[in-house]
Amino acid sequence: MTQARAITLNALSLYAVALVLAAAYAAQFILHELPCPLCLLQRILFAALAVGPILNVRFGPCPSHYAMSLLAAVAGAVASTRQVLLHILPGDAGYGSALLGYHYYTWALIGFMTAIVLLAAILLLDRQFEEDGVVLPATGGAFAQIAVWLVIALTAANVVTTLLECGFGACADNPVGYELLKHAA
Amino acid sequence: MEFTVLFLATAIVMLIAWRGRRPLALGLFGVVLIACIATYLHHATDTLSF
Repeated sequence: MTQARAITLNALSLYAVALVLAAAYAAQFILHELPCPLCLLQRILFAALAVGPILNVRFGPCPSHYAMSLLAAVAGAVASTRQVLLHILPGDAGYGSALLGYHYYTWALIGFMTAIVLLAAILLLDRQFEEDGVVLPATGGAFAQIAVWLVIALTAANVVTTLLECGFGACADNPVGYELLKHAA
Repeated sequence: MEFTVLFLATAIVMLIAWRGRRPLALGLFGVVLIACIATYLHHATDTLSF
């Protein structure tokens, strides 16, 4: 795989992360399901997955950038596995609603495991790490730049919504309202 | 509050990765990841309530 194709794939992975963060927002604002502390941690680790591809788009593909995303994916898989196990007992309805039969944390576990497998697979392709002399567009071109700013904007939006939800104290285990808005009302 | 800080730190790491110096982005990413693991372990040791 050439460097140019690797950068396009990295941009696509940024759109995938943006899609996950947008889907989480859809559940939060359309279904009014506020994220629990473990759900927030999984969102943060999905966002952390994006740092490696951003570095790949800017500086070119590098194994250490993929390794960063691998570490974030493993941490995310551990967090989502814990939440699956918390709700695995028979009779437990789980946290939040289900989408296509799976709760969001189960989808998160599938997402993180998929990321681990895809990252390992892309690391097998050595040619992307060799200098091939092809002049690449600055910072990956418009397609990649939009992906980067989309992910950054969604992460920045999460700063605001998490502050509204949790306020300045500890986040509630089972949040039912926005802590800061309660005080403002 | 810790989750707000973690989101903010992740957004800052992304901005540095995009506009700043690579070693700084790598170092700060490590700090954020360790902070995430520490937050996870803190919550993992909570007493479960049924």
